[in-house]
Amino acid sequence: MAGHVLPRSRWAPIIVVGCVVGLTGIGASRARADATDFAGHIAPLLAAKCGACHGPHEAESGYRIDLREKAFAGGDSGTAGVVAGKPDESEIYVRITTSDKESRMPADGEPLTADEQTLVKDWIAAGAVWPDDLATLPESLLPKGEGKAEKGADHWAFQPVVRPPVPQQDAAGGSSNPIDAFIEAKLAEKELAFNPEADPRTLIRRVTYDLIGLPPTVEEIAAFENACRSAGGIEGPYRELINRLLASPHYGERWARHWLDVVRFAESHGFETNTARPNAWPYRDYCIAAFNDDKPFDQFVREQIAGDAFGVHPATGFLVGGPYDQVKSPDIVLTSNQRADELHDMVSTTASTFLGMTVGCARCHDHKFDPVPQTDYYRIKAVFEGVKHGERPIPNPKEDAERQQLIAAVEREIATANERLAEFRAAAQADGSPAPQRPQVSPHENVDAFPAVRARFLRFTVLATTGNSQPCIDELEVFATDGTNIARTATATASSTLPGHEIHKLEHVNDGRYGNGRSWISNERGTGWVQLAFKEPAEIHRIAWSRDRSSTPQFSDRVATRYEVAVSNDGTTWQPVASDKDRIPYGGNAVAAADFASLSPNERAEAESLTAQVAEAEKKLKQLKDVPKAYIGEFVQPGKTHRFFRGDPMAPREEIAPGSLTKLGSSWDLPGNAPEQERRKRLAEWIASADNPLTARAIANRLWHYHFGTGIVDTPSDLGVNGGAPSHPELLDWLAAELVAEGWHLKALHRLIVTSRTYRQSSAARPDALALDSGSRLLWRYPPRRLEAEPLRDSILAVSGALNPKMGGPGFDFFEPNTNYVKAYTTKTKFTDEDFRRMVYQSKPRSELDTFFGAFDCPDAGQVQPKRTVSTTPLQALNMLNGDFLLDQAARFAKRVQQEAGDDPANQVRRAVLLAFGREATPTEIEAGRGLVEKHGLPMLCRSLYNASEFITVY
Amino acid sequence: MNHFLSAAGRRMLDRRAFLQFGGTGLSSIALAALLHEQRLLGAEPPIRPAIDPAQPYAPRKPHFPPKAKNVLMIFCSGALSHVDSFDYKPELVRLHDTPMPTAGGEKLVTFQGEQGNLIKPLWDFKPRGESGKMTSELLPMLGDLADEMCFIHSMTAKSNTHGPAETQMSTGFTLDGFPSIGAWVTYALGSECRDLPAFVAIPDPRGGPQIGPRQWQSAFLPAVFQGTPFNADKPIPNLFRPGTMSEDADRASREFLRMLNEEHLARHPGDTDLAARISAYELAAKMQLSAAKIADLADESAETLKLYGADDTQNSLKARFARNCILARRLVERGVRFVQLFNGAYAMGEGVGNWDGHKTIAKQYSVHGPILDQPVAGLLKDLKDRGLLADTLVAFVTEFGRMPTFQKGANGRDHNPSGFTVWLAGAGVKRAFSYGATDEFGYKAVENVATIYDLHATILRILGLDHTRLSFYNNGIERRLTDVHGHVIEPILT
Repeated sequence: MAGHVLPRSRWAPIIVVGCVVGLTGIGASRARADATDFAGHIAPLLAAKCGACHGPHEAESGYRIDLREKAFAGGDSGTAGVVAGKPDESEIYVRITTSDKESRMPADGEPLTADEQTLVKDWIAAGAVWPDDLATLPESLLPKGEGKAEKGADHWAFQPVVRPPVPQQDAAGGSSNPIDAFIEAKLAEKELAFNPEADPRTLIRRVTYDLIGLPPTVEEIAAFENACRSAGGIEGPYRELINRLLASPHYGERWARHWLDVVRFAESHGFETNTARPNAWPYRDYCIAAFNDDKPFDQFVREQIAGDAFGVHPATGFLVGGPYDQVKSPDIVLTSNQRADELHDMVSTTASTFLGMTVGCARCHDHKFDPVPQTDYYRIKAVFEGVKHGERPIPNPKEDAERQQLIAAVEREIATANERLAEFRAAAQADGSPAPQRPQVSPHENVDAFPAVRARFLRFTVLATTGNSQPCIDELEVFATDGTNIARTATATASSTLPGHEIHKLEHVNDGRYGNGRSWISNERGTGWVQLAFKEPAEIHRIAWSRDRSSTPQFSDRVATRYEVAVSNDGTTWQPVASDKDRIPYGGNAVAAADFASLSPNERAEAESLTAQVAEAEKKLKQLKDVPKAYIGEFVQPGKTHRFFRGDPMAPREEIAPGSLTKLGSSWDLPGNAPEQERRKRLAEWIASADNPLTARAIANRLWHYHFGTGIVDTPSDLGVNGGAPSHPELLDWLAAELVAEGWHLKALHRLIVTSRTYRQSSAARPDALALDSGSRLLWRYPPRRLEAEPLRDSILAVSGALNPKMGGPGFDFFEPNTNYVKAYTTKTKFTDEDFRRMVYQSKPRSELDTFFGAFDCPDAGQVQPKRTVSTTPLQALNMLNGDFLLDQAARFAKRVQQEAGDDPANQVRRAVLLAFGREATPTEIEAGRGLVEKHGLPMLCRSLYNASEFITVY
Repeated sequence: MNHFLSAAGRRMLDRRAFLQFGGTGLSSIALAALLHEQRLLGAEPPIRPAIDPAQPYAPRKPHFPPKAKNVLMIFCSGALSHVDSFDYKPELVRLHDTPMPTAGGEKLVTFQGEQGNLIKPLWDFKPRGESGKMTSELLPMLGDLADEMCFIHSMTAKSNTHGPAETQMSTGFTLDGFPSIGAWVTYALGSECRDLPAFVAIPDPRGGPQIGPRQWQSAFLPAVFQGTPFNADKPIPNLFRPGTMSEDADRASREFLRMLNEEHLARHPGDTDLAARISAYELAAKMQLSAAKIADLADESAETLKLYGADDTQNSLKARFARNCILARRLVERGVRFVQLFNGAYAMGEGVGNWDGHKTIAKQYSVHGPILDQPVAGLLKDLKDRGLLADTLVAFVTEFGRMPTFQKGANGRDHNPSGFTVWLAGAGVKRAFSYGATDEFGYKAVENVATIYDLHATILRILGLDHTRLSFYNNGIERRLTDVHGHVIEPILT
């Protein structure tokens, strides 16, 4: 294959005459050669076509083509592989010629050509001569897997970045910016030249949208124009403008939005239920802050892969930003595929985001274009093997320690009060009155406190359940008097466990994770017990247990309604410490009746006050334990990673240890049992290294892409062999080198780019230049652009004056709230101030675009989106003309104009045009606009302005 | 007017950079670049739709002469049980209420858990039409049209979960984020109809299907090719000006807008997006008239309403679904390229408003059967009577099948992606034909096993498209509807 894989080029001016080389190098002419020539024709053909799966590395179905005896004898099926003289009885011939595609070989790839089939047939018919000296086929004939993946290793993007010299230009435009020298050199090759510089008003609008995603205000435009006038030139005022914009917190909001496209961030799970991830937003805030703080990009990379190792926890929201299938099933095939898909998302997104490489292609086979053997994919997969979707608390060592102390204190308070209460209860009961009762069992959390007791074992025995089904417990916690939950380090045993369910296992009962997805179910209807053996005897005083304690509990079946808790020091003699007996029976009155009527008034007063105190303390405890959590993944020490044959989790092959890609710069390996965090840390360091040829190129290219609409490589997440060819390869390398030299500070690169003459030229179309370069990729002009959905919406709000500048925190929703199992998405039609925040703060559901802005090519985060499509559709027009949001904003815009311009319609038109377009109205506009306002009101004028091409286009 | 590139057209063509500004087609330079790139991709390079830059919806030529011009896909959401409808298995009657013999006596564990005994079809099967095809009394009126149908009894799906499986049936992939088949088809072929969306999705009157708009998304294809959802009850969102705005005001505001845009265009000569935007606003205006007209069934005769069951006063859900079926016919009649008609909604939960009969399948299907039967039978008959089947391929699909057993401890059937039935009818496929088979219980497809990739490849073939050559470059890969799979099911083609 290597011969015909060439980089794409948009510039190739010549038709390259086809020179397709066959996979095996066997052309039609050879097929007619002497069919009995095993060494010359048959061996190379069989080795190449069959050897990858039926060779020393793979031996699928027990069949080998590289060993004569095995090749003849056949594989596991027992059918002879080759029967000399009888092609139709030879399995090998039958399988390469069958029309049944399920059994046809090769299983991957194209069938053998008719000539190749004939070759095999003739060889068998002629007696299948296989000489002794080739009884074992030489390694050199066999595909090595890696051999395939060697190709492309000499591709430009995999070579070290070497800062190229800046082309010598005659500096006709007087620019000292190296970017201009590179661009001008390419333009000169086509005898093209830059457009003249854009006027200050166009420029401030362009760069403001570009850097902060909002239009400049009328005042900002005027101030800039004045400054240019009084300075007698644009240089100084423009530099100040750039400084202001890069220092604006809106810069982070604009550029984090780009980043969120690249990393497929969304705030719902996707798949069938697509329910919300209400705590995913800290990752968004992290990204916005990282851009605003100009965090060095290498550190930004490290933190997103292994932020927990650097104390920057929200950053790992990157790892679990992708979809997660919440629909679990006892079906092991489904479960394995789900997990494989989760990890695939992490592997492929990490590679495409930071390296600009499509490593995901190697999940099933060696990469077809780039030097990525299938095993490399599994090395990276092993790095992420311990990453699980889910929330975890954002640790804060100081606060956490204080919190633990408080928790322990409150728990002691509760225990002491309960001990005293127990005495009162006993006394009250002794009087023959009905015992005061504790609240009934809850599916979501139950606490049983008892006088402190020293124990080595604790057993929770279920005596009855709802619906008499097998009881389910998602977590059983046992608290020592020092406040620690010693269940976490205990060993669990049980009377029985429901078999065959990944999500219901005994080890889940004390794994610290809540919810049905990590729970234990007994295999006995209405009963069963679970027992914990602590690491060492401890003073315990309290347990907490539940059926479904997830943050959004869904399950209330299988609840243990009657139970007994007993402790033991030897595992044979048991002392009961708690039970449901003093609770209100399940399904009974919800409110506990604390009846201490038979006690003396003093005692009664104390008992009632204690009861109130316990209730208050329990509330407090709940608050204390309710640490803020974020959807930033959970990390567990993983088991082994195996290569999956053809990506099928049901076909695991050899074990693979974590490591880097092997064909790209220096590589490293870790042992198969390396600590979880260490794996990610190593990968992060490797990617973020200045020596990695891809990382700096990929981000420099992304910046270019967002500044000019097209990257130097127009496939920003694929710099590989199958990606686009760079339009200015030297410039890309220069930018990458410069970025590293500037300490990976993106703002330095932004400044360099937006102050260049290339960036500052006008966007006027020139027929001569368009004829040579219709896509403006050589940058003889600044390519004009339609606003994306987010700056469009933000601009509508900014112009109407409704924009709410509130930064950070949970987002706002485009959709009506609902809590269906499968979330239904209905677009909101009424708005509050919260809805008028910048669109980056939208709680963006995955794969669910709203009717209005979804029509503007918003990515849906189902897949990564390194580059947005740009459509122009009638539905956009209908939304912009008739949508509730637009008409609501047009009314606000009108109100603003009225306030600022007074009642004269002509003045209103002037003001409205100035606000919407940042320029003075033309006489025609004033005339026609006045008529419209007088007859149909100001909001109708505002509606038209919002819809104008000028509003939505950046020049 | 010049052939200005619309933004959509530009996105598709620009990367290849083979259009000259103001030119009339491919320049030689661009053609060279294109051929150069195509050669890289192997023996069979992609054939990219040559999109008329000014009109992304304009009709485009397929790869080779088509058998059908448009497609009506009827999607039964929730997994319609094949063993109770179209896949006749006498063994189920004979072995009713006995355990299913499995290889090695393994316990069957499917989506919701363990399986109970084999259960005979809940509706009797009868021979239908001249062909004598056995179909059940669940859908008797559809059964009577069996001579029109081309059954594929050996379908298999990649997932046994509704979301991923419905995603696969609609987009080819079980993961989110891939374009739906309707988007692919309109990307390739545009539409015969200039004033309606090229791809219309008709949600069930009970609500949206599982995974909602993902069934008609354009994903990484340009948004012009996303399906537009509307049905007989709910028009296109934002189609009309609000009631508070007078017609005069609307017109005057748009007239002012036209003036703004034309002046603007004059100031920016040669800017291609502007012309495309102006034409999008013109198309929107046309759509307001035609989309309103298409959804207004007032001109349908009483006979037609009766044929579809839209006059059924006893069963209002059926009458509403029937109105959607009439709408589907009207869209097909107008030349809309791809119509996706949904039966079943997910918002109501398992089996309540859809075909997901886990627990009480007999009761649930007694409700769903009549809603589906007459309206779709009426639709098929009407299409035939009006001669529309000559150009239209009808594809009746569901995401997977159901088990021949009941779930342990329940009166319903669990998910079964190993074997299920779809049928095609109309242009390009054989009539009264059955292809492939499941085993004697209807558990697994065993004869001529077909995949959803194969089904998609076949639909594209009937439209004159080679599924291996219709692609779009995204994120490092030439993406196809059929991924790297799919074989056209030749035996069912006319």
